[in-house]
Amino acid sequence: MGLLTILKKMKHKEREMRLLMLGLDNAGKTTILKKFNGEDVSTISPTLGFNIKTLEHKGFKLNIWDVGGQKSLRSYWRNYFESTDGLVWVVDSADRLRLEDCRQELSSLLLEERLSSATLLVFANKQDLPGSLSKEAIREALALDQIKSHHWSIISCSALTGENLLSGVDWLLDDIAARVFTAD
Amino acid sequence: MNGSNSRNKTAATVKGPDTDIGGPAANSRERKSGGGVMKRLKSRRNQSDQQRPVVTEDELRALARDITPDDVLGLRVVTRDYLCKPEDNVFNIDFTRFKIRDLETGTVLFEIAKPNNCDSEYEEEQNGDGDTSAGRFVRYQFTPAFLRLRTVGATVEFTVGDRPVDSFRMIERHYFQDQVLKNFDFDFGFCIPNSRNTCEHIYEFPQLPEDLIRLMVDNPYETRSDSFYFVDNKLIMHNKADYAYDGGQ
Repeated sequence: MGLLTILKKMKHKEREMRLLMLGLDNAGKTTILKKFNGEDVSTISPTLGFNIKTLEHKGFKLNIWDVGGQKSLRSYWRNYFESTDGLVWVVDSADRLRLEDCRQELSSLLLEERLSSATLLVFANKQDLPGSLSKEAIREALALDQIKSHHWSIISCSALTGENLLSGVDWLLDDIAARVFTAD
Repeated sequence: MNGSNSRNKTAATVKGPDTDIGGPAANSRERKSGGGVMKRLKSRRNQSDQQRPVVTEDELRALARDITPDDVLGLRVVTRDYLCKPEDNVFNIDFTRFKIRDLETGTVLFEIAKPNNCDSEYEEEQNGDGDTSAGRFVRYQFTPAFLRLRTVGATVEFTVGDRPVDSFRMIERHYFQDQVLKNFDFDFGFCIPNSRNTCEHIYEFPQLPEDLIRLMVDNPYETRSDSFYFVDNKLIMHNKADYAYDGGQ
């Protein structure tokens, strides 16, 4: 076994990532988290705190934090910014009335110093609902194209069916890995 | 694409979360020959644990000060008694649910929740009158099949009182007889006042050989664990559990 292989293995062992999942209340954050981990999603109640999952995926040790999105909880989000490698912003694509609220919350997050090195994944969730907006419409409503400070991508998904959850997370991990783990 | 199914497959390759966690059953299905049981166990322990000076329960009690994470990481056997009092839990942190599921079949293997938690069936916790271990001790009874599981998810749910908690950390140490099976160390960090929080660790059982598994089945309740909970590096809760794997025999 060559030295490079050994070094790679060591790196591999330490490849830990912290993902922070935020969004307005009822966006589907907890449902995404549970569906992604093969749990029943038929009864999900509002998160009045956090839900954490630690797991290994694609050779990475993931710590995923889902923090409640109710208005009264948003001021606590900042307590979870530290060391975040990936920010997952979850949008209820059928909640047209709160899209502006959604845009504002996201744009203030992107100004946060401690999130400045995080990759952003936007999940345009609830694509299973008939009235849901397309990811292109969400992209425009959230003014994503103006983001220059972060790597970002938007992916349409359905937490209920599981559609695109895996490809979204995989994109996020690949982007983080390319930034963090190949430089050294 | 069905996210759930594909996730289950991915999750089947899950490894221990922090260090190799043992969870309530630190075991595995893979049993390879060669290398003694204890030798294998030792090699699993993380380096910092090996280099750490060994400390005894009596030494910690003699300190007559608050117990820190470093203190308990030096323990090598399960404690005889609790290292803090129930009233040290000034933040009113309350564990309201424990759940273990098998990710390969999607089955919930064990679930216990406190009453007032109305979204699922629950079992009353033992309420010993005047017993200081009330609510601090759980006895798990499993069948030997439990030791054949490959990937499990262990969930805890807890509530926090009306003060914010800045730095919440748990250290769980699992032993069989006088041997450390594994150490699990996780930092929750900040907890929102009056919050209800969950944490699931999805991990693969460490590989233990057949002879150790047989010993564990034949010696019920000699597999034990200490769960230590710290706020700002000060021990505020200490829970215990023991485990039998001879159910249904």
